[in-house]
Amino acid sequence: MSITEWLAWLEASPVGRVATESLWGFPILVAVHIMGLTVSVGTIVWFDLRLLGVALRGCPVTDVYRRLIPWATAGFLVMVVSGGWLFVGYATSAYVNIAFRIKIAAIVLAGVNALAYHRLTERHVREWDALVRLPLPARMAGLVSIALWVTAILAGRMMSYTMF
Amino acid sequence: MDALFQWAEGTSLAQFIARSAAVTGLLSGVHLVGLTLVVGGALVSGLRLLGVAFAEWPVRDVTGTMDRGMTLGMSLSVATGALLVSPRISSASGNGIFQLKMLLLAAAAGFYFAVYRPVMRGAEAGPVARRATGAAGLVLWLGVALAGCAFILLE
Repeated sequence: MSITEWLAWLEASPVGRVATESLWGFPILVAVHIMGLTVSVGTIVWFDLRLLGVALRGCPVTDVYRRLIPWATAGFLVMVVSGGWLFVGYATSAYVNIAFRIKIAAIVLAGVNALAYHRLTERHVREWDALVRLPLPARMAGLVSIALWVTAILAGRMMSYTMF
Repeated sequence: MDALFQWAEGTSLAQFIARSAAVTGLLSGVHLVGLTLVVGGALVSGLRLLGVAFAEWPVRDVTGTMDRGMTLGMSLSVATGALLVSPRISSASGNGIFQLKMLLLAAAAGFYFAVYRPVMRGAEAGPVARRATGAAGLVLWLGVALAGCAFILLE
């Protein structure tokens, strides 16, 4: 089965048809996707702003992370499930859409950036946890994260104007 | 008011936006970036005001530096939202969900500048008043976001 056939099979599946054919499927999935996004990216961005030293300056970095990560994770799961469902419904047109590809690339790179922060930069966190101005790698991690998530959001909205 | 709406729709800027899907998409993206900053900010600061998270740190230490980010998010969303709706303001203004969204936005922004932001910056507030402020801010901004979703999808 080629990728195009497989994507067409996804679209025709009962799950895909909920997104495309039911009266309320599409609006509810999009609304849930956007609400998941505002909670997930909305909390990640404030952690990034802490890394940059412009917000939540009075709290140690590890404390900000520990308090926000459950919200970011919950929002991310909601966003991935609703976004995945929408993709199933419009798989063939999304797959060839340039904005969709940019969005997915930005999300993957945001994951790589977060992984690099946790595996490398965060190893020395004890030395700068409570500082306002953090070392350059930590500030860069925050800046890159914001840039990638803004790219993902812009590309995601652009999909609505280039796919249908 | 109708004359004002017709003037707005007739401006070359509104007509330029109406003709370009790319510009509309970009404006819509920036609109959502602004909303994400505001709703995330309302969630993080609201959790502190409610005493659910960061409770061991003084309110001012947690939320005192968040107001600029929230104000920036609001400015981005309001400016791009005005541009997005400008080509179809006459029909949008008659839409019940749009009216609800504008009402909630006015309430959320008014509450933010009159009550929420001073409390974020450390203004005197008892524990009950502080929690009520956090909860009201969170409910109002989530309401704006939900009404916004409903408007773009059900218009």
